[in-house]
Amino acid sequence: MIRTLQPYEQVVGPIVIGQLRQFARELSGARVVHVNSTRVGGGVAEILSWLIPLMCDLGIEASWEVIEGNDPFFQVTKSFHNGLQGVAVPLSNAMIKTYEETVAENAERLRTSLEEADFVFIHDPQPARLLELCPNRKGKWIWRCHIDASHPHRKIWKYLQSKVEGYDASIFSMPEFAQKLPHPQFLIAPSIDPLSEKNCPLPPREIASTLQRHNIPEDLPILAQISRFDRFKDPIGVIEAFKILAEVLDVRLIMAGGGATDDPEGAAVLEEVQDAAQGNSRIHVLLLPSDAHRTINALQRASTIVLQKSLQEGFGLTVTEAMWKGKPVIGGNVGGIRLQVHNYHTGFLVNTPEGAALRMRELLHRPELISRMGETAKFFVKDNFLLTRHLREYLTLMLALRHGMADHLFAA
Amino acid sequence: MGQDFDNAGQSIFRVKDCALITRMAGISSVMSLREMHERLQVCPLESLYHHFCETQIRPSFDDPEFRNDFAIWASKWLGDRVLAERLGILNPYSLDNLSFLRDRLVEIVEVRINENPQAAWYPASEEFRFMQAATVIFDTEQTLVSVADLLEAIPQLSASSVYYHFVEARRRTGGRLDDFSAWLKDLPEETKALEQAFAGIDFYFLNLRELKRALVQICWDWNEAEEVPT
Repeated sequence: MIRTLQPYEQVVGPIVIGQLRQFARELSGARVVHVNSTRVGGGVAEILSWLIPLMCDLGIEASWEVIEGNDPFFQVTKSFHNGLQGVAVPLSNAMIKTYEETVAENAERLRTSLEEADFVFIHDPQPARLLELCPNRKGKWIWRCHIDASHPHRKIWKYLQSKVEGYDASIFSMPEFAQKLPHPQFLIAPSIDPLSEKNCPLPPREIASTLQRHNIPEDLPILAQISRFDRFKDPIGVIEAFKILAEVLDVRLIMAGGGATDDPEGAAVLEEVQDAAQGNSRIHVLLLPSDAHRTINALQRASTIVLQKSLQEGFGLTVTEAMWKGKPVIGGNVGGIRLQVHNYHTGFLVNTPEGAALRMRELLHRPELISRMGETAKFFVKDNFLLTRHLREYLTLMLALRHGMADHLFAA
Repeated sequence: MGQDFDNAGQSIFRVKDCALITRMAGISSVMSLREMHERLQVCPLESLYHHFCETQIRPSFDDPEFRNDFAIWASKWLGDRVLAERLGILNPYSLDNLSFLRDRLVEIVEVRINENPQAAWYPASEEFRFMQAATVIFDTEQTLVSVADLLEAIPQLSASSVYYHFVEARRRTGGRLDDFSAWLKDLPEETKALEQAFAGIDFYFLNLRELKRALVQICWDWNEAEEVPT
């Protein structure tokens, strides 16, 4: 599908789209390459799937490359990911060798396009080493960290720091995540695509048939946490919260998630979730394929309250998605969730399963609060967390780098 | 600036727009009032401008209790309401330059530390992180040549264009004027009342949506007054 900016006018208005076109004039023809580690699954792949075509629609020659690796490589990069999120993970010489060799193999394949590009965006730690393997680079290289790196495990960060400090700039989702680096560190929050299959409006019959297909009766209020099966998302904590709530209220819980090709721990966590849910017919655990966007959309819309009780979170795009659908969110008091969920306005921030149970109970007793919070949440996302804002910030960043980082600069 | 002249020497207004990209200011974050006192003396002036003036164009949730980030930090994370109120009333646009703003901030913090020296070491529950922003400006290619053009254009401006011409302009124009008023002064038409109406907007306490509404209201009022038969 060829995606253009024109349909977004209906959502954000012509002024916003006109601004983007004017901003992009100077960047017309610029070669921009994004590199990450998976084409499907996870927020980064989703962002790139709309960002690339829209950049192209603005006249930028944007492309998307994915580094390839085997299981041992992704085990190592998952360790990097966990280490950046503060987990004390080992880092052996064998792990470093696996990582460096795999990235070197990828560099052979990607070097020409990366060295020729005007701007290269390297997403997360997996491809970070590509910079040192492209010595003849012409353009600006930017490391985009999507992870909550506020308290990284020291050993992992020391190693990764040596790979990213040579970049021209880095981008973090929140100021709390920024690290000491010898280059400018920009702040750009992620966003969602309001017209994607995951976020577009759905007819009620499609929502009903999705529930039917997954054997979820519509007899009770539905609570849902829909995100990857990952310990940092605290799925077991959500089930605990549900069990506390179920002692006093009749509700259903959907725990749905897909896997990402760069996440080897997903299967083990899913098993833990299935064990915790066993014997309770009101908990529906669904493993969804990575392209089940409309199903996720329908499940979020069918929910009365959406949870994202993460213990660590880069940004929490599932929170944004739920808010865009007018749902109050009960979210973990961490990372980017704190940018989105505001107590008594768009949902509640919680720290424990008990806290989540308490807030769900409060909301279920006050339906007027659910609809008011949902409305506020949708409005807030429209203003701040849609892809048009995100795209504008990428354009601004490229212009700022091109003009040598002056505080005030005039684009041609 | 929005002001320019055409070949015939007529003053024209070029409508501009802008976008900001925020970045870390490159100095350590602050956990206590004592640390704040130290960092305020060395932080870039650009960072003070960001935390006082660019709060208007940043994504925000609702009407904040205080307009500048230092007052918000003192209230929300340091739990010092007295300090928050003293910082909150600071209006950067009433000071001649950002160095004076720095001096005032340092002085307010010093007074507070003297009042309660022990409290200077109390840890805040969240760090204050110094940031700053780069502003990228572009020409929308829309030009205005008369008051009527301006009144027609204002309701169509983007929020960031309103910010650039009405708020950010104070920094660029020595007389701390908005771009519209600066341009109106050059027109042969009688626009004093319009300039006064613009000058009467207490924009520091408005978000951009409210500011645009106030500007549009002035345009409507002016148009109505002009249409009244004499």
